Amino acid sequence: MTVRTLTTLQINGVQTDARVALSDTLLTLVRDHCYLTGAKRGCNQGVCGACTVLTDGVPVRACITLALDCDDKQVSTIEGLGEEPTMQALQHAFINCGAFQCGFCTSGMLIAALALLRNNPRPSADDVRYALSGNLCRCTGYKKIVEAVLSASEAISDRNTP
Amino acid sequence: MAGSPLFRPRLLAEALELLAETPDARPISGGATLVAMINAGLVAPPALVSLTRIEELRGVNILENGDIFIGAAVKHNAIATDGRLTGTAGVVSHAASQIAGTAVRNMGTIGGALSHADPGQDFPPALCAVDAVVEVASKDRRRKVPVREFFIDWFTTALEPGEIVVGVKIPKPVPGVGLYLKHARVSGDFAIASVALSVAADGQVRVAIGGCGPKPITSGDADAILSSEKSRVAIGRAGDILTALSNPLDDVRGSAAYRRLLIPRMLQRAIEDAAASKH
Amino acid sequence: MKEYIDFGVGKSPPQIEAQEKVCGSAQYIADLYRPNMLFGAILQSPYAHARIIAYEVSKARAMTGVRAIVTGDDVQEHWRMGAFIKDEHAIAKGKVRYVGEPVAAVAADTESIARAAISAIEVTYEELPAALTPQEALASGAAIIHENSADFVKVFETGTAGNLCSRTSFQEGNIEQGWRDSDLIFEGSYQTQPQAHVSLEPCGALAEIDASGRITLWSANQSVFRVQANVCESLGLPMSRLRCLTPRIGAGFGNKMEAHIQPIAALLAAKSRKAVKLILSREQDFEMVRARHPFEIRFKTGVKRDGTLVAREVELLADGGAFADDSPGVLGYALLMSCGPYKIPHAYCHGRLAYTNKMRFGAFRGFGVPQVAFAGETQIDEIADALKLDPIDFRCKNIKKDGDHWLGGQLIDSNGLAECLQKVRLSSGWDNGRVSPRDGVKRRALGVACSAHISGLLATGAIVRLLEDGTVLLNTGSVDIGQGSNTVLSQICAEALKIPLERVSVASPDTDGSPYNWGTTASRVTYMTGTSVIRAAGEVERKIKEHAAEIFECGIEDLEIIPGGLVALKGVAQKNISFAAISGRAHWAVGGPIIGTHTWVFEQKTVDPKRAVVVGLPFPQIGGFVFNATIVDAEIDETTGKCRVERAWSACDVGRAINPTMVEGQIEGGFVQGLGYALFEEMVWNGAAIANPTLMDYKIPTFVEAPREMHSIIVETNDPRGPYGAKSVGEMGMNSVAAAITNAVNAALNARLRCLPLTSERVLLAMLESDRTPTTP
Repeated sequence: MTVRTLTTLQINGVQTDARVALSDTLLTLVRDHCYLTGAKRGCNQGVCGACTVLTDGVPVRACITLALDCDDKQVSTIEGLGEEPTMQALQHAFINCGAFQCGFCTSGMLIAALALLRNNPRPSADDVRYALSGNLCRCTGYKKIVEAVLSASEAISDRNTP
Repeated sequence: MAGSPLFRPRLLAEALELLAETPDARPISGGATLVAMINAGLVAPPALVSLTRIEELRGVNILENGDIFIGAAVKHNAIATDGRLTGTAGVVSHAASQIAGTAVRNMGTIGGALSHADPGQDFPPALCAVDAVVEVASKDRRRKVPVREFFIDWFTTALEPGEIVVGVKIPKPVPGVGLYLKHARVSGDFAIASVALSVAADGQVRVAIGGCGPKPITSGDADAILSSEKSRVAIGRAGDILTALSNPLDDVRGSAAYRRLLIPRMLQRAIEDAAASKH
Repeated sequence: MKEYIDFGVGKSPPQIEAQEKVCGSAQYIADLYRPNMLFGAILQSPYAHARIIAYEVSKARAMTGVRAIVTGDDVQEHWRMGAFIKDEHAIAKGKVRYVGEPVAAVAADTESIARAAISAIEVTYEELPAALTPQEALASGAAIIHENSADFVKVFETGTAGNLCSRTSFQEGNIEQGWRDSDLIFEGSYQTQPQAHVSLEPCGALAEIDASGRITLWSANQSVFRVQANVCESLGLPMSRLRCLTPRIGAGFGNKMEAHIQPIAALLAAKSRKAVKLILSREQDFEMVRARHPFEIRFKTGVKRDGTLVAREVELLADGGAFADDSPGVLGYALLMSCGPYKIPHAYCHGRLAYTNKMRFGAFRGFGVPQVAFAGETQIDEIADALKLDPIDFRCKNIKKDGDHWLGGQLIDSNGLAECLQKVRLSSGWDNGRVSPRDGVKRRALGVACSAHISGLLATGAIVRLLEDGTVLLNTGSVDIGQGSNTVLSQICAEALKIPLERVSVASPDTDGSPYNWGTTASRVTYMTGTSVIRAAGEVERKIKEHAAEIFECGIEDLEIIPGGLVALKGVAQKNISFAAISGRAHWAVGGPIIGTHTWVFEQKTVDPKRAVVVGLPFPQIGGFVFNATIVDAEIDETTGKCRVERAWSACDVGRAINPTMVEGQIEGGFVQGLGYALFEEMVWNGAAIANPTLMDYKIPTFVEAPREMHSIIVETNDPRGPYGAKSVGEMGMNSVAAAITNAVNAALNARLRCLPLTSERVLLAMLESDRTPTTP
């Protein structure tokens, strides 16, 4: 019988208690326990980036993060980041630039872009390409995603400039 | 967390004790590789000892003699962006910056990478090019293993049962250039072949080849040749020595013959790039 | 009114699903949950070819939480599915035919129980000799993969015999005469590799059964109607007993067009009497869905010294894998497109498709054209070089024009290829020099290629309903797989009725309520469904005017629809009445609710028997040609041979861009998928098993490999039959890419690469070989 352990963490600011097995990942926890399905299982191997979430503010792959190792941590998924102005600027830019088609990679892509803009509010196109290179998209050819991130960066800095 | 199959000790001694007492338990650090293997059903460890909370394994510290000690739990991204890895030691951060993608670099740790000893990884050759020393510990002892002796075979290291990597010591950086030339199919993939190179301002060279055998390929003779001379002929001789020591496989990234062909060519390119970046 | 102006045809509103996609609330198949649903898992074959002797399932059945186990014993021998040849069971029956084929499946309370139960099932096999390549399969004495292929239901005259799955040939003119008329003849053999679709979303399905036994099935698909047909054929169900639905789709590119594991999910639901969700792992998605066919290609082309193409023979040998799936279609279509967009009076194009003990190959963006365009367009460059003609001039001299006929005889009446070539030529600076001077580190050159595709085939419909409040529900049954067809069809509907885009909503595809739509495939949704939408909206317009004519006591011809959902007296805009008022009248008083419908099937004949002799073509009615020209600026690292495309120009004649941003998205996405195909994507079989069924080992392009500069150029020819002049763009942007990149590499290296992908290894070896060969003056 699988041993399940109670783990307690903050997911999108909400204290969450779940009984999880050793092999359960953070992705399983957010999707199948919390029904936060914005993070996607694209490869379950940490390669595609569709499951990217923030733990303690840092983008990680939920599919290769053990749920039990997130005890006491703060986890943010796409569903919990909609109030953040930088994320709103990114979402707006993704919509207006046509930076997604099927949308399966989009949650992870937005979170990776959010982490980039938090560290580097005015990235170059090459900075964007490097920072997002671990997030795969099979639909867009990436061009419009780069444009969207640059456009969000501009919008934010315009807003911050008096 | 009583009864949990995941132990999350805060002290190194506790972790080593747990690993000694529970032979089936595996240490887990960033998890980037191990959890992917669990997901794929390749391994099913009954218990894990998480090293993520152990303060002693964190941080990059400059020692009194100027050596740099990188704790085993330091993430790839921290190493990639650490401004203290200057001069010849730049090869280590340059290699770290080319591992996988941002999110994986936020997870993976240098200790985990060394312990897994995947010959396609970027740290092993980079650490060979700076003559790093791996510090390992078990419940009963702590010892230092020169990195060139740490890697034994495919996915096999000098770690003994109950031992873990606690950190890596990089000799005090000297002025010069350290660079990591990686050739992969796409960004973030494992290397088809790579050259880790440090060239000190006094001309001393250390070189290691990745992706071309069970462990990084190094040669004192090749280092000596390149330290005294960097002509095309000398590079060719060093390249031949390293190629002869290589033992690459045919895999989906490239053939063994191609990898052998690459070694001298990439060595030449790396030395030219190093010379160019001095200015 | 502003919205109408902003978002009509030719404007670029965002996807109507945009908000849910950026908030993480869009629901894909894995995001659906039903109360008390079970989870499925699949046991896969370890053998390429073996007889199934026995199943031992008692251990698995005894496990707590296991609710149903299905095997080949649960399906009958004659229950077979297939788009062209009905040769495939829902799950392996009697034999396994490839490593990874589903052999048994379990539904259990949790995923981990289902997986544990799978490993408790024991299957006894008797291993058979396997045929892993078409050459092996077609050799005499080869193990026969389908012993009873003569009994299979086939939708065309396939010529199936032994492991020959099907064959097709085209003859036009007189090929022997063609060789006699040629001054020079060029011949080459080319090889292309299997490519994986890698839709970011793996395939999956969720089935549940009601008390009467009727099944409802959600799945990742490109056609709810093909799902319905495949599941019913493979489970012996009447189509009325199965309802198919679709959630959001995480892209398709062809792999979700025909069945994947929907029949197994339905079977598990039927047997457990519960809802069952079955989602493939990435590895399973690689191992048991489908992939692009590897082709062995021989091209022989005759030409006059002045550069006039005279004759071409094409011979294809395609690996179909274990089941026919869409392969006969791919073979036939590849041959139809194998003379490219060129006038070649004498042609003989023929090919064979073999069953092998590999996963089935099937539809993938381009549908055989990327393969033949690679061979054909690199040979065109070879000929141009030999004749010392500029490659673009040489192409322009030979391309088909309006009024010419396609291979087989179909008339071309909307052709922007010359403009495409001209636009990429000018914008890339082609005439400033193709090959950059060597600098000892990199070599660099431009390469060009062009190709064509089609936009129309098979059946489609649309229902436009005017709701009580004057808003509109558009129901077409076409699945938006992410490319944005819901938005484009809404734009067409809004344009036709002159209403703001937000007054149109799109019904989700549902076999219970949607009009038939063959599928989101073959670059057909805008062209085919868009046409139906206009016609159905036209019926709504007519009915609205009938009401208004009664109200205003005037003739229908005196009325016009004016922007904003109003019908008015012609020239007297203030004398108007709203759609809402008319719809209310229709719903509650006079005439009944206003519904417009339209259905059609593409009937243009592909073959004119007076021009061509054709054997075996499974598509007698396809057409509506679109064109592309692509130029790339490729750089080769002399140290490693790694090729990188720095800049790219891709011009597509799309007829008319209904939504230009989405058209660009198709061109850019198709380009990068083509770039992966050209340079490094390859499914590698190590013996009988796939060596790289993971994203760790099978690599697709990342941000870093995409060109730094990508220029999408839209050419509009306003097709006389297309909706508002539109044709298609879904596949067109991919077809020329591998050829253009190869032509650039060949020019930079002075080499002739004939095998895809252009791995750094192949490129380096070609460079070294070329450098060793003294150039002839």
